[in-house]
Amino acid sequence: MRWATRRHCHVDRAACAWLIRRFIDPEAEFVFVDDPDEVPPDTKRFDMRGAELSHHGGDCTFETFLRRYEFADPVLWEIAKVVHEADLADERYDAPEAAGLDVLLRGLSMVRDDDELLALSEPLFDGLYEYRKRALLLGREPS
Amino acid sequence: MSPSPVSWVLLAYRLPREPSTPRSALWRKLRRLGAAQVLDGLAALPLDARNREQLEWLAEEIVEASGEATIWVGELGSAAQERELAARMAETVAGDYRALIEEAIAARDLPEGQRRRTLGRLRRELRRIRARDYFPPQERELAQQALEEPAALVEEPVA
Repeated sequence: MRWATRRHCHVDRAACAWLIRRFIDPEAEFVFVDDPDEVPPDTKRFDMRGAELSHHGGDCTFETFLRRYEFADPVLWEIAKVVHEADLADERYDAPEAAGLDVLLRGLSMVRDDDELLALSEPLFDGLYEYRKRALLLGREPS
Repeated sequence: MSPSPVSWVLLAYRLPREPSTPRSALWRKLRRLGAAQVLDGLAALPLDARNREQLEWLAEEIVEASGEATIWVGELGSAAQERELAARMAETVAGDYRALIEEAIAARDLPEGQRRRTLGRLRRELRRIRARDYFPPQERELAQQALEEPAALVEEPVA
């Protein structure tokens, strides 16, 4: 399936693309547009104004994905806290990793295009997932 | 040579008086972003990709709360008006810096552990203020210094 989002991806869109590829649609193809009017037909749009899969009620798009697709995996909800704070910094959650993730992805987006950014951030989110999973199992931060 | 004008992203909105929760949530979020309230229902930020995106999300939330919202991009009609708006925004963050400086000075008299925790909190607060500081006033430097000085004390070895 083809998925469309806004050009110049940052943390929320990168995290959503990772979630789509890993958990929803392994064959996903991504299209980046400047304006919602440019979205080609037969694509599912996310993280843009007017899309169902976008910010809602103070949630970032990653959180909306988890709700709409009814993900119960607690590790994904841990990642959602980090993505939410990296994207919105509204202090809804305590997620000290958020500031670092925000800077890393912002920096990457300065030196790579959107396709490369998503490719490079995938292992980053895989690692974050593994780390948070071990932390949940151990009940403390893994070393 | 006069500096080139600042481009602004503006959020024009109308939100029902009741319920009041979306109104106060919006007010808090605009304040956190450092937006200038130009008029009732018109908020402005210097234009960049992040500010534009953040205001677009707020516009979505306003529409979801049965309000109306549009996003505009523009410049002020004169350099004098621009200076006035920038000065107003600088004065708002200057007030935030001054409050922080007072707390930093008060923290110097606290017992060691408490001082350390207070400074940690104030440094995080400083980072938040800096993120919404588009026209830095001189208080920014002073706030930075106020937090550096007691930090040196904390790191001094115990005699």
